[in-house]
Amino acid sequence: MSLAGLEFAFFFPVVFLLYWLGPHRASWQNAVLMLASAVFYATWDMSLLAVLAGAMVVSFGAGLALGAPSLEEGPAADDTTVRRRRRAILAVAIGAELGLLGVFKYAGFFAGSLNALLSAAGLPDMLPVLRLALPLGISYTTLIQVGYLLEVYWRRTPACRDPLAYATFVAFFPQLLAGPIVRAPGMLRQYGAARLLSPDVLASGAGAFLLGFAMKAFVADWLSPRVVDPVFANPAAYTAGTLWLSLLGYATQLFCDFAGYSLMAIGTGRMFGLELPENFRYPFLSKSLAEFWRRWHISLNTWLFDYLFAPLTTGRSWFRGRAGAGFLVVFLVSGLWHGATWTFVLWGLAHGVALAIHHTYDLWYKGRCRKDRRYVAWRKAGPYVLASWAVTQLFFLLTLIPFRAPDLSAASAFATGLLGFGGQSGLAERFGLQAAACVLFMLFFHLLEVGRGPALKQGFLALPAPLRGIVYGLILAFLMVYVPVGASTFIYAQF
Amino acid sequence: MDRSGMRQLLIDWLDDNYHFGEADSKIGSDDASFLDNGILDSLGFVALVVYLEDSFHITIDRKNLNRENFNSVNKILDYVVLRTGGAA
Repeated sequence: MSLAGLEFAFFFPVVFLLYWLGPHRASWQNAVLMLASAVFYATWDMSLLAVLAGAMVVSFGAGLALGAPSLEEGPAADDTTVRRRRRAILAVAIGAELGLLGVFKYAGFFAGSLNALLSAAGLPDMLPVLRLALPLGISYTTLIQVGYLLEVYWRRTPACRDPLAYATFVAFFPQLLAGPIVRAPGMLRQYGAARLLSPDVLASGAGAFLLGFAMKAFVADWLSPRVVDPVFANPAAYTAGTLWLSLLGYATQLFCDFAGYSLMAIGTGRMFGLELPENFRYPFLSKSLAEFWRRWHISLNTWLFDYLFAPLTTGRSWFRGRAGAGFLVVFLVSGLWHGATWTFVLWGLAHGVALAIHHTYDLWYKGRCRKDRRYVAWRKAGPYVLASWAVTQLFFLLTLIPFRAPDLSAASAFATGLLGFGGQSGLAERFGLQAAACVLFMLFFHLLEVGRGPALKQGFLALPAPLRGIVYGLILAFLMVYVPVGASTFIYAQF
Repeated sequence: MDRSGMRQLLIDWLDDNYHFGEADSKIGSDDASFLDNGILDSLGFVALVVYLEDSFHITIDRKNLNRENFNSVNKILDYVVLRTGGAA
């Protein structure tokens, strides 16, 4: 089952009614959500439910041990033995979580790569290559649980003592497939108290869900089979213009697929009185790569920043104060997190190197600003801003080639084709109204965030409810006519 | 060093690295949130932590190191004063 699938239209009302019509208690609400999450998970793979449950038992137990009164803050908290014991508990628990992810997601990749290396040196294969089924959402649930363990270890959040609340926090079904990656401080508080049904929150949740569904089903799923998939399957056959069009189409598809899913998850959460974290904030307006990563997949990037980059570059190791080296590490991890293939490693490396270069340039430019204030003014001027925006977006676009290509040779064929060394084919069909609607949608979506856009949006939301209802109704009718029922799966669910 | 001296060091750092002479006017109130008012981004926070630790010879506890409670002139100064006993 997926949030955009037909089954969900039957599943959601049942869960919604059970949730709100039952006793108004946190335990009842969490129990309904946990049961619904188990059913949701089981529709994908029943047998792997045990893996998720096992991982939750480990991190919940470790959280309790870290937060045990004997190891908590107090006169003994700074005692060396206590510190060592807490560190050991953390290391074992994080080791178990990452070990599980490693076995399911990376064992095959590393064994295959080692064997390929040995084979190139004329030696026989050394390791068997495991091809295990990846448990649904394991990349997301692992990060959620590792983040929780670090928060408890650093004593920034108390250990959760309610197993039902903890399990729901980790495996709440809207976030299971593709995030957002929730954080303990913001979410455990919400699961600890009974939620209230409010018409405003319900309307806002339904609106977010509808917008997300439109992005996924109308834009992403329309573009994928027509503009993206055929070209990426055989890039050498297409003209440079077609390849550029396909790359732009893929950027739009990826954004609408993933941001759409995130909005559907956030909207679903809101309809249960829960506020999941924001995941996208108009990334195509970014004027630097650092800004881009603060706007794209926000929950992953803030996770990597807070739990990897910040400890690495503020700790006592060689990385202290070396942001460039920190970027390289973080984006190599991000690349591998996205998938156990060399194309994702290349994608992560490209972003890490680019961020390190930009950081060095930024330091140099700030040096100029200190000496001559005209540099400050130039940086705020239109041409500089426009050039920064164009370079940032072009770089992101080009790095989508290894992100989408099935292997390095296909990525290389696509890249050379963009320069005019490709084939002669164009896209099979001419596009009319729906293609224009996709482009206009993306433009309006981002333009509503600049200039007078936010005021216009507020103006629409302030319209009388019946008028807004008519607009929403027209959108629904439009989607029902044009959107194929049974949308495909989400790109980020594979990670 | 007293609190006002520490404040001046913080403002000088913000001027040198982010606001080039406009830090004081951009901050407005010493209780204003750095993140909400565009004074510092997350990368800036990391650089600030390294700067404060090196300048005042303190170690900033991870417990205190998050965006919510390390996010304004007053909150930062409160912490540094606490850790240095008011002298650096």
